[in-house]
Amino acid sequence: MSKSQPMEGAVLTETIQSSRRRFPILDSIRFVVLLIGAVAMLFPLMWMITIALKSDNDVFQIPPEWFPRELHWSNFITGTREINFWHTFGNSLFIAVLCTFGQIVSSVLVGYGLGRLSFPGRKMWFSLFVGSLMLPGFVGMIPMFHLFTSIGWYDSWLPIIVPAFFGNATFSFLFVQYVKTIPVSFDEAAKIDGASDFYVLTKVLVPMTLPVIITMVIFAFQGSWNQYLEPLIYIVDQSKWTLSLAMASYTGVYSTAWNLFMAADLIYILPMLLLFFAGQKFFMQGLGSINSASIK
Amino acid sequence: MEQKRTPKMVRTWIKGYLFILPSIVGFSVFVAYPLLSSMYYALTEWGGYDRPRFVGFANFKYMFTVDPAFWPSIRATFYFVLMSVPSSLVLGLFLAVLLNRSLPGIKWFRTIFYLPTVVPSIATLTLWLFIYQPQYGLANSVLRALGLPDGTWLTSEMTALPSIVLVGLWQVGAGMIIFLSGLQAVPKDMYEAADVDGAPRWRILLHITLPMITPILFLQLILGIIGAFQAFNQVQVLTGGGPNFSTSLLNFKIYDDAFNGKLFGYSIAEVWVLFCIIMIFTLVTYRYSNRFVYYESDNSR
Repeated sequence: MSKSQPMEGAVLTETIQSSRRRFPILDSIRFVVLLIGAVAMLFPLMWMITIALKSDNDVFQIPPEWFPRELHWSNFITGTREINFWHTFGNSLFIAVLCTFGQIVSSVLVGYGLGRLSFPGRKMWFSLFVGSLMLPGFVGMIPMFHLFTSIGWYDSWLPIIVPAFFGNATFSFLFVQYVKTIPVSFDEAAKIDGASDFYVLTKVLVPMTLPVIITMVIFAFQGSWNQYLEPLIYIVDQSKWTLSLAMASYTGVYSTAWNLFMAADLIYILPMLLLFFAGQKFFMQGLGSINSASIK
Repeated sequence: MEQKRTPKMVRTWIKGYLFILPSIVGFSVFVAYPLLSSMYYALTEWGGYDRPRFVGFANFKYMFTVDPAFWPSIRATFYFVLMSVPSSLVLGLFLAVLLNRSLPGIKWFRTIFYLPTVVPSIATLTLWLFIYQPQYGLANSVLRALGLPDGTWLTSEMTALPSIVLVGLWQVGAGMIIFLSGLQAVPKDMYEAADVDGAPRWRILLHITLPMITPILFLQLILGIIGAFQAFNQVQVLTGGGPNFSTSLLNFKIYDDAFNGKLFGYSIAEVWVLFCIIMIFTLVTYRYSNRFVYYESDNSR
């Protein structure tokens, strides 16, 4: 089966070429539509960048100038001096790293248990975990708020960080689905050599599931970096704020200094962009597997 | 024979439970407990810091008959779901089909369309807050450049909700990428066969590609519905529910009632109404799915 795949690939490229010969107009239309779409998608981001580089007065120029004559790079410094930017940036980074770490470690452990070990009740737990994804997030919000508040966790990061260490149903599910595509003989071979389950998981399976783990890391970090509701309801003290809270309040307080705000907003976006471009190759691969896992 | 195995089996069982322990604890504390307790809290009058007082179904009665903000928020929620879910599905699928076959610069196009989804939610929303700014915003600048009158965007009841939907369409890349990976997974031999038959492209799309990805389409539909019913950040950052409740989605109202109105019991009752609506929508969609969802291993159903 796998041997015939290069052949199929060759046939497909030929198919595309032959149909391209047949429909050069169709491909040109496709290209133009994509080009227009891509410009529309990039428009807001490009605009954000030009605003971030403008002087205070140029922001309010009508019609707006796309290429400001003077580039005010100092906006990035002035903009981040407001709202205690770097402090809240550090808070968000700390929370995101811990949450990502917690979610990946716990979800991989749970995924291994559900995907590789057999024990009574395995199917029931699996359906319970996956089923919990159906519940709207708000069902738990208020009782959890009450619980965390009553044990003194209000105005701290604990309600945000601690739950991350208790498994993420989506990630465990992904890991189970991905692990199923790896033959059990790998585990058995290692176990005959005397390896423990933990060794099999960390030294055999984790390297083989790297694309899906990197995809999970990107999603987990993104999820935490984006998180808004939880910090909003739990954190009062401004020195404990996350960047999402700070940026949301920024618009209210400094509503006229858009150039400074956009400069800060760009730095807020930067870690996500870096992570995405760094992991892009694995990410696409991992997404492919998510998708084939979800159908089967 | 059996007895020899037993201690080993028990060890494996214990090991299994040790591995899934994080999720068992997590499920009990963060899912089961709040779920069960909120069934009770929905029937109480409770401000969060006092003791919950049992009031039966009074919360629901108040919600359906007295609360002036409830029905507008139901209306807004349905509008939002009906506008955002189909439009992002159709646009996502359309882009995925365009991006599926090779073309010069195809990788760049894929990256560009995915890029907006990488932007954090709050950064996106604050950016669009300025895009919609009446005087200096990009949206009205574009309209003026095209010789059109200014739009009202977030400031009028008519346009506020569609404007919020539009922001979501900017991040259509999330769905697009899932569709794209689905399209890439369609068995190549099917295209081969169709090509031998000399079938035109639109027929291949309609009769092979689309039927093959209906399971993904269905999954995206369900997830889209569940997600759209729970939209919150958009409203909180862009409009605060206004003007005149036109963007007060139920999820936002729940948050607002709980944390600004200090009506914890009442807002939990509202959560349950939202939950029932989502369940009904999901079940109805699920029920009608077998009419259009095609599974390759059809005999397994």
